[in-house]
Amino acid sequence: MRLKEKISSRPGIPTASMGDIAFLIIIFFMTTSIFSREKGLKTLLPEKGQEVKIKSENILTIQVNPQGEVLIGDQVISIPEVRPKVSEELAKNEELVIALRVARTAPYKTMIDVYDELKLAKADKISLTPVKKEEGGP
Amino acid sequence: MKKLSLRRASAADIPTASTADIAFLLIIFFMLTTVFRTEIGLKLLLPEAESTERILKRRNVAHVWLDRSNRISINDDLLDIRGVSSVMAGKLSDNPDLIAIIRADQDSEYGKVNDILEALKDVGALKITFATEFER
Repeated sequence: MRLKEKISSRPGIPTASMGDIAFLIIIFFMTTSIFSREKGLKTLLPEKGQEVKIKSENILTIQVNPQGEVLIGDQVISIPEVRPKVSEELAKNEELVIALRVARTAPYKTMIDVYDELKLAKADKISLTPVKKEEGGP
Repeated sequence: MKKLSLRRASAADIPTASTADIAFLLIIFFMLTTVFRTEIGLKLLLPEAESTERILKRRNVAHVWLDRSNRISINDDLLDIRGVSSVMAGKLSDNPDLIAIIRADQDSEYGKVNDILEALKDVGALKITFATEFER
């Protein structure tokens, strides 16, 4: 006797809705993910206690006073003037270290503007002089 | 006028068999790139800078927020300077490659930023980034 093959009910996983499920998960991840918004000005702080003595002729001090004015020496200059001035000084002396001394009450924006100018002038030795609480800064 | 004959011989259809595969590929991409937003932070306006760079290693990042009324926040907790040191010391022991991002409002006082820098230097968090926007 020949057995009749039963193919009528073959077990199977329905895969028709798989794409829909997958797209649902995609939408979830797309809406929850935040793409790299992290951007800024990179800086490396010196280690604590690692204080290097630098000859005074190799230091160019830039000050920002509480009114947000930028001073090199005693001279008040505007922010776009910082870059050419620093480039000029760097061309004269390659070992130049720029000390940026910002008053405590000076606006942060001015400090970032000056810092940006220094970065654009390719000054890689920048020192952010800490200003103590008692001192009002320059 | 000549009657145009309808050509039905090859019924046009889009192959859908591989949509699930494509979808799963995209899922894997999003799953790997997603970093969930963990903190809300403070409302602030970042300063703009021309030399703004992107930071790629997002998993090593810790934010310090400073708003225009000079409040400091980490992980949505308002802290003082001593709090910044202790919280960042804890974060740094979890991840020595930590990059601290200072998200400070453009109208905040530099003195506070200076204090944060000193606090970070004290605990040894030396990789710092000042968060800025691209110059428009």
